[in-house]
Amino acid sequence: MRIAEVIGTVTLSRCHPSIAGYRWIIGVPYSLKALKDDSVPDGEDIVILDESGAGIGQKIGVSEGVEAMMPFQPERKPIDAYNACILDAVQVK
Amino acid sequence: MQLALIVGQATATVKHASMAGWKLLIAQPLTVDGKPDGEPQLVIDNLGAGLDDRVIICNDGAGTRKLMNSKNSPVRWFVMGICDRSEAKNAHR
Repeated sequence: MRIAEVIGTVTLSRCHPSIAGYRWIIGVPYSLKALKDDSVPDGEDIVILDESGAGIGQKIGVSEGVEAMMPFQPERKPIDAYNACILDAVQVK
Repeated sequence: MQLALIVGQATATVKHASMAGWKLLIAQPLTVDGKPDGEPQLVIDNLGAGLDDRVIICNDGAGTRKLMNSKNSPVRWFVMGICDRSEAKNAHR
């Protein structure tokens, strides 16, 4: 899981039937430097399926790859990023 | 499996149910000469790894689910060992 900051949301009017009705957020992953400096994240933004209700500005843990669809098991969905946790505190030395 | 350095820790209240009770660490994957390789990853740990420890992290999602005793966990990375020493030919560490 990478750490990302939520910077926005996405809505879909047409989509694959298996992913209809979900909430989507845009997250920007942090590099180590950005985490250390507590500055803005510097990765490439990704669209993430969100079931936890993450708000803009929050840090989240993004599960990527095949693990992103594991919470929906045994159903299979065409997703590759899932908000696994909303981080309350991130301490980096 | 990848060599990584534990650079911090994170806490989360809102998270996938499978992650309850698991320690979340921030691990920075390393190149062979000890430089940061990509973005830091959130990993789960039950070995007691701590800040500044060099560890081996594993991205076997199926193994992680077995470790967590969960069929639907979105977690992919876990600490599979704490390094005493690592050596590589033609590298500085």
